[in-house]
Amino acid sequence: MSDAEYGRVNLDPRFAPPFPEAALHELRNPQLRKNVAHAIDVIQGKRGKLVAEKTDWQALREAASEIRTHVLENLGEYLEQFEERCTAAGGVVHWAADAAEARSLILDLLRQENAKEVIKIKTMTSAEIQLNPFLEANGIRAYETDLAEIILQLGEGEPSHIVVPALHVNRSQVREIFARRMGLKNLSDDPQELTNAARTYLRQKFLSIPTAISGANSLIAETGSVAVVESEGNGRMCLTLPRTLITLAGIEKVIPRFQDLEVILQLLARSATGERMNPYTSLWTGVAPGDGPQKFHVVLLDNGRSSILAKPKERQTLKCIRCAACMNACPVYRQTGGHAYGSIYPGPIGAILTPQLMNMEHAQSLPFASSLCGACYEVCPVKINIPEVLIELRAQVVNQERKQAKRIFDPLYIGLRIASFLFASAGRFHAAQWLGRNFARLFTRQDGWMHSLPSVGAKWTQTRDLRGLPSQNFHEWWAQRGKESK
Amino acid sequence: MRASLFITCYNDILFPETGRAVVRLLERLGVALEFNPRQTCCGQMHANSGFRREAFAQARRFVQIYRDTEFVVVPSSSCVAMIRDQYPGLFEELGNDALRKQFAALLPRVYELSEFLIDRLGVEDVGSCFPHRVAYHASCHGVRVLQLGERPYRLLAKVRGLELVPIPNAERCCGFGGTFSVKNAEVSSAMLAAKLQDVVSTRAEYCTALDNSCLMHLGGAMHREYVGMKTIHLAEILASTEADYERFPVEGTR
Amino acid sequence: MSTSSRQRILDRVRAATVAVASTQAGEAYAALARGYIRQGSLTREACVQRMVERLRGYDASVVETTPDQLLAAIRAQLEASGKRLFVAPQGLPAEWLIPGFDWKIDHGLTTAEIEAAEGVVTAAFCGVSDSGTIALHHGPAEGRRALTLLPDWHLCILRASQVVETLPEYFDRCPQPPALATYISGPSATADIEMTRIKGVHGPRFLQVILLRDESR
Repeated sequence: MSDAEYGRVNLDPRFAPPFPEAALHELRNPQLRKNVAHAIDVIQGKRGKLVAEKTDWQALREAASEIRTHVLENLGEYLEQFEERCTAAGGVVHWAADAAEARSLILDLLRQENAKEVIKIKTMTSAEIQLNPFLEANGIRAYETDLAEIILQLGEGEPSHIVVPALHVNRSQVREIFARRMGLKNLSDDPQELTNAARTYLRQKFLSIPTAISGANSLIAETGSVAVVESEGNGRMCLTLPRTLITLAGIEKVIPRFQDLEVILQLLARSATGERMNPYTSLWTGVAPGDGPQKFHVVLLDNGRSSILAKPKERQTLKCIRCAACMNACPVYRQTGGHAYGSIYPGPIGAILTPQLMNMEHAQSLPFASSLCGACYEVCPVKINIPEVLIELRAQVVNQERKQAKRIFDPLYIGLRIASFLFASAGRFHAAQWLGRNFARLFTRQDGWMHSLPSVGAKWTQTRDLRGLPSQNFHEWWAQRGKESK
Repeated sequence: MRASLFITCYNDILFPETGRAVVRLLERLGVALEFNPRQTCCGQMHANSGFRREAFAQARRFVQIYRDTEFVVVPSSSCVAMIRDQYPGLFEELGNDALRKQFAALLPRVYELSEFLIDRLGVEDVGSCFPHRVAYHASCHGVRVLQLGERPYRLLAKVRGLELVPIPNAERCCGFGGTFSVKNAEVSSAMLAAKLQDVVSTRAEYCTALDNSCLMHLGGAMHREYVGMKTIHLAEILASTEADYERFPVEGTR
Repeated sequence: MSTSSRQRILDRVRAATVAVASTQAGEAYAALARGYIRQGSLTREACVQRMVERLRGYDASVVETTPDQLLAAIRAQLEASGKRLFVAPQGLPAEWLIPGFDWKIDHGLTTAEIEAAEGVVTAAFCGVSDSGTIALHHGPAEGRRALTLLPDWHLCILRASQVVETLPEYFDRCPQPPALATYISGPSATADIEMTRIKGVHGPRFLQVILLRDESR
């Protein structure tokens, strides 16, 4: 697919091209692959050192996994507790069953404030509900304030990673975007200068726009508090300077108690950015008289989470604390970057979360976008067994497709069905081997290898040879040996 | 000691020399090896491709064939991972209690080759000789699911004449991933190209592993690209003895 | 609309977890595995030194002083900054407001007034040496949140007795969960451009810490 045909990157799972197609497009972009590999290597290097130093790392993962599982199993109770405590502290809690309702709730709240502009801290959840374009269409400008998000907003790009969303963009690309959109003619591509440009650009917005939208890393049931973890300080700006704050959070973000942050915070920064602790963590409870926004709203979002919650094997997907360690460890992501996944949740977590949020009606290629190597599970701070969920989702997709008779003529499906039939009987299996061996001779060249195969085989021989089938296979050899020894 | 060899479907057809090497090796170590000709496949390919119904049938068959065996030895870490990691869930879902119990009793008796040598036979030095520069590729299932750890390295350390060279980024997936290699052939090939760079940088003569699946993928690219390296299953290195070097080249060179 | 959604969502959530929800969530919570390290194992001295190291590792400047030298140390920091106009929380000890500088005490300063200040001086609640983290609970001597956010220069007086080794020890120190808290682990930073760590995006670019040795060694 040419760039012209491919068009803009599409992160709407309903319309994004399937993973193999999207990935092929990304694989053709050497700049992207270089940027992605560089970013990943930096984070992984730092993470590796800190994990090695943390002698109780595995115990922390176990505790985090249990805490998150416990919350999910008792989510109703903890959500109600959070709502009660947050309300008692002066917050207003709203519930949105789906993306459309969340957008409309937020719009109403902004209209109540006569807000024409709003400042935002990066929140993947707001991208999930496609908030910004909706606000724009309703006459409200949303200004992103994270450096990466500004780069993407000004450059009209899409995020490719959930912690370092612009990791696919290099410094000269950033320079070009800032120079053009901020009107700075003599801007160099030095990251310090670029960052200063962003700082100046945003300062006035922080000081003058009275309404902000944030996400949440954790909602604390015990106290009704919210915790936000960040590096740049734009979060603190948005959380304390405006008059009105709206926090959008998925219902799965709840943790039972304030003290549980002692586990989550030790895991999160190490996993996400390879630091012992991120520069700034903010915690607030409802409204604090004389300090920060005097109007505070929380919008709790379901949008498919309660369906995932109902499924015993898939429920663990909701344990996610959005650290992105999985995509940093993923050998597939390393090659394709995030856009190939056609979702704002890319990488291993995206491969299981996205199709499930879509009720398995879209993004069905994502569970197959994995070699099942297990590196993600190994690094996940809350021990989500991503390979297990991937395999489960693959079975669901295939069962869907069986019913739809979609794949009757798919050569791979035909091949797997035939193989299953053959594996059910040794006699059939052996006969098929004999047939296969003779058929393979047609494709075996003088060097004893097959260089070009038809149909599904062509996918193999695109880049690899396949050695010709030996004239005697193992079970024949064994049988012969048995006869000879008699 | 008696043990039954589960050769695996793909080794039977594509890499019989690995099977012959396992036989040679284990008999040399005094194991009375059996081979049940009714065996076919463990079901991994189907389970991982979403064909769970079909995988059930294969899993059931495996248990029926091996339930009375003393030990089952498997020269493929991904197949053992399937049996250890996924069979429990499959039998749970099948709801057949008798089968689940039979499997539970069988499971501790199923060994990957390096596990069988180190844990069961208690040997590291298997009397082998393979005077070549060798790089060991640690397959993902072996590393992460079976947690083989030091086992293959301990075996390689005792092979006479063998010079082991570490592969950079050793624990990164080669990109095979079963049907992933054809369903996502381009990404698989990109991962393969990256892995090949790391393997080739070792300047080894041979790349070895406990899984012919990875080796087929790596070896296929090596052959296509005229890379001066061959692949060989660890069983064939371990089966090779000094006597082989006196009379003829090591079996299994490709 | 939102209230009926509330009921719908809670109904769905409850139905989804009916098989696994605990009848006594509190008991289930108490039984969760906590095998991680809670108590540190360093000596007090080593713990405080690690705090200093980790702060410096984040390019915060750290000066150690004793109680009788504290005011001199504060004066020295203020003078070295080259700045004149400082804001301070209303509960800051009066003697810390060193004469010779312009002090604006926060009895309800506007955002513009805080923005106009060149620096801020505060105390702290706790320090965690494992990560070089300073915890502010925004009490009277720490000030409201905007105070430590807008000025470019923040002088924080941290007592050695406030320093603990591990993050769980900080949580043990909280008599109850704070309503407001900010955990600072160095000046603001971004690595969004090619993973090059750049300091000082928003928030104070200069963090100066006076480590007050108020414990006997």
